Amino acid sequence: MHNQRPILCIIPPHMLREISERGTDLQQEKARATMAVSSQIRIQRTSAALTVHMGAAGTPDKHRNIYDAKQGSQLPGTLVRKEGDPPSADLAVNEAYDGSGATYDLFKEIYGRNSIDGNGMSLDSTVHYQKGYDNAFWNGQQMVYGDGDEDLPPSQRLFNRFTAALDVIAHELTHGVTQFEANLAYSFQSGALNESMSDVFGSLVKQRLRSQTAAEADWIIGEGLFTANVNGVGIRSMKAPGTAYNDPILGKDPQPAHMRDYVNTIEDSGGVHINSGIPNHAFYIASIELGGFAWEKAGMIWYKTLADKFNQNSSFQDAANLTVETARELFGSGSIEEKAVIKGWQEVGIIVGAPAGDGCLTAMMRAIGLAK
Amino acid sequence: MTKIDFVQSGGFMGRTIILSLDLDDMPPHQAQTFNLLLDQADFFRLEVDPAKPPVPDSFTYTITVTTDERSHTIHVSDTTAPEQLRPLLLALSARARIR
Ligand SMILES: [Zn+2]
Repeated sequence: MHNQRPILCIIPPHMLREISERGTDLQQEKARATMAVSSQIRIQRTSAALTVHMGAAGTPDKHRNIYDAKQGSQLPGTLVRKEGDPPSADLAVNEAYDGSGATYDLFKEIYGRNSIDGNGMSLDSTVHYQKGYDNAFWNGQQMVYGDGDEDLPPSQRLFNRFTAALDVIAHELTHGVTQFEANLAYSFQSGALNESMSDVFGSLVKQRLRSQTAAEADWIIGEGLFTANVNGVGIRSMKAPGTAYNDPILGKDPQPAHMRDYVNTIEDSGGVHINSGIPNHAFYIASIELGGFAWEKAGMIWYKTLADKFNQNSSFQDAANLTVETARELFGSGSIEEKAVIKGWQEVGIIVGAPAGDGCLTAMMRAIGLAK
Repeated sequence: MTKIDFVQSGGFMGRTIILSLDLDDMPPHQAQTFNLLLDQADFFRLEVDPAKPPVPDSFTYTITVTTDERSHTIHVSDTTAPEQLRPLLLALSARARIR
């Protein structure tokens, strides 16, 4: 499972952009050669990724810390609520506390994982990051949330605070889990897979809290982030990628639901938040096929694959092959679970069992116009 | 002539926002503010490690400033931006958000 495929996806896309825009033919040739050489480099899992991930060694450790950046950019900021403290008067603080708690619970109670690192790591979040910050991120150690367009007049606001959506909180925390496991490189296909893992478990945390089956769930990511000024139901749709919003200012949801519509771009670290629509939709199809609660079977298959099989450079094809392999290991060859996962990938244009190829290299070359 | 080209990419939504400012076409007090922010950032001497990949969902920013004499481009993200650059970054993203 630790194969020898390229380390390429860690080259920052803006560097590729410079090569493609400013490079001479000779430089472009050189870039091509460098990429080819890089493809020989063996991948080493980071020591962090080797951490025991089933939490067998310790007791459950839910240690949440919520900090306030007070509209600045210093992290983590001032500690305002820690584990066991009563609710704060600040809504964003409580949302971050409850949301990271619900995410911890899914990973612990369903997948047996003790926190982000599998070893009881504290769940740290900072709210009120900067002014007018329409975003949330995982900085490698903690979650960070902005307040949206709080600094604009109400009629001009497009975004609410980013703690308003539970699946966004679970999405950010899952980036931490991924970092300690496969550590999927954050660009092109491995980056889109990284994004998709965060959407998958983000949505599952929400579905579990609402006790919704796969058929009942809305599969929207980021519901509640848009104000009423936006024509949209959320940021992404796993059920129907590309349909979450269509707005005069924000434009149209750019997500594809099928490989034929894969977007080759350098922006957004190689389209990580765009092409994630493809694996997202595969997960949705598999979940619908299986019926019942999606976190039980489909979620278990995806979790085990993330924890035990992916590496830094896994591509969509790897994801298809490896999730099916996991389904077979968990439920048996020829099982309905195996068939559901095969169908999920098939419907997004990925035939399980095809060679994995060099998804990263190809995507990168296409994005900068060096390959068709 | 001073031109500022600003591109914000990535973030949870993955949306790219582009802003081009020509300080000569702006009201003088606004142009002066941007000139001050450029000075404060020591923009033309600012070097940022370009090899650091962005952390998940952070915004990445590309800023190019072009004058009659020179042009300089930097790539930063929410976590790599030097302190001295942040006021300029905030002013640019605030302007890009005005609808
Ligand atoms: Zn993300």
